[in-house]
Amino acid sequence: MIQLHNVSLAYQKDATALNAIDLRIEKGEFVFLTGPSGAGKTTLLRLLYGALTPTSGQVLIDGQNVSRMPASQIPHLRRMVGVVFQDFKLLSNRTVFENVAITLEVLGWGRVDIGKKVMHTLRQMGMESKINLTTERLSGGEQQRVALARALVNDPKILLADEPTGNLDDANKNQILNIFKEANIRGTTVVVATHDRRLIEHAHKRLVILNKGEIVEQVEEETTQANQAQ
Amino acid sequence: MNRWKKKQPKPIKPNKRPKLAGEGFGGRLGYFASRALTNIRQNVFVNVVTIGTITLALLIVALFLLIFVNLESAADTWSERVQVTAYFDHELAQQEQTALRGKISAIPGTAKVTYVSRDEALKRFKSRLRGQETLLEGVRSEVLPTSIEIALKKSYRDSGMIEAYVASLKRISGISEVQYGEEWVQRFNTFLNFMRLVGALLGGFLVIAVLFIVSNTIKLTIYARRDELEVMSLVGATRFFIKAPFLIEGIIQGGSGALLAMGLLYGLYEGFLHNAGSLLTFNPTTAGLAFLPSEYVGGIILAGILLGFIGSITSLKRFITV
Repeated sequence: MIQLHNVSLAYQKDATALNAIDLRIEKGEFVFLTGPSGAGKTTLLRLLYGALTPTSGQVLIDGQNVSRMPASQIPHLRRMVGVVFQDFKLLSNRTVFENVAITLEVLGWGRVDIGKKVMHTLRQMGMESKINLTTERLSGGEQQRVALARALVNDPKILLADEPTGNLDDANKNQILNIFKEANIRGTTVVVATHDRRLIEHAHKRLVILNKGEIVEQVEEETTQANQAQ
Repeated sequence: MNRWKKKQPKPIKPNKRPKLAGEGFGGRLGYFASRALTNIRQNVFVNVVTIGTITLALLIVALFLLIFVNLESAADTWSERVQVTAYFDHELAQQEQTALRGKISAIPGTAKVTYVSRDEALKRFKSRLRGQETLLEGVRSEVLPTSIEIALKKSYRDSGMIEAYVASLKRISGISEVQYGEEWVQRFNTFLNFMRLVGALLGGFLVIAVLFIVSNTIKLTIYARRDELEVMSLVGATRFFIKAPFLIEGIIQGGSGALLAMGLLYGLYEGFLHNAGSLLTFNPTTAGLAFLPSEYVGGIILAGILLGFIGSITSLKRFITV
């Protein structure tokens, strides 16, 4: 599903953000990217939805080489990748409903079907009572769930999330983690960048640890489960 | 083994989605138009500012144009006084008149040929000296010359063209003395050229200022909504999908601005016609002041629409990175 082969990226000549990354994430996998601030987690995610092009190496998503993808193909890539941003990127002057519907409008869905699908997704997130509120009137946790609904409403093949539990309390964190797990059970490949140790420990999923732009360690799912059992 | 070369990647196909109403070009256009109207509703203040700016900018240009068009039409009326007169020392026989008329009419630029007999000349002379007719007592028509007055077509009324015309006129046998008030024509032409030059300079500056103000206003309104552009792009919207509602919005803003400007200009024009008489030495209702011709009005509305469209398209280029 996701393959990175010898990927390096430098924002400037001397500042290397990623260095010779080799990573393979299978279809339906759930992976945490972790590491200290500045390790390259966000940069790696941005490569996966075509917001950045690597300085060298290949990035393949579902068999497509993103590094060589023409600009006109990027929107098609993004339609199969749902992204939850650290700062949510919600439109503050639009309602919860409109913020989620935007993903389906882009795909050309009709109004009635958009209504049904958005309501269904918001119900899953427990946000159905707030559909007509503008997002600036929501709490951090609620905004996070709207951002998740927007990323998941079109059943993407891949879900990317950047620090999704940044400012949330434990109850909200668990709720968000459960939504990720449910999406993963439905077949979505999930990649979450976080340095929230508690979230990682609770999830028992594969772990990729980055530091200074390099993968320093990978912990497989079985190992994390075993560690948890001890 | 190199795994990358082995697989021939299939091109990405858009996700499967239900077959829905609103498909095809018409449906998409409907969606974009409704999106544009919703955007206007959601950003009322920004839109009011943009439309207001376009209205004021176009009103200034249109007002300038109105003044210019009226000055040109006044100049056109004055230029009708430019005429060429050929004098003869004898009365022309009917046959001679017809022959000369034919030859003169054949010269390019001739609009109207009028024969002025000695009697007619005396009548005109008397009418000019109305109230002092006694001065002409004992004067008989024989002392006055006969003449042919030639009115020229509009494009032949400047000094260069008149000189060429007179030269051709003099080549006709029987015509020797020709007058056309060289000095007046030259002064009039100098005035006209000066007026046009000032008009072109002022108009040019105005248009540049308007383009600058309107394009920057649109740029600011789009800048204020750059988050929306970013989010659309991140959820997989194509450039066209992102741009289309903004372009329709630009057209609506430009068109409404231009219509409002025309409405305001008409109000100002009517107000001036009916109220300015008391402030001015002439009565504007009888002075022949006209509103802009319909093709100018259409042109300004079209210019407004284009301004909105081009302003949006160039501003969007700056903010859509994908």
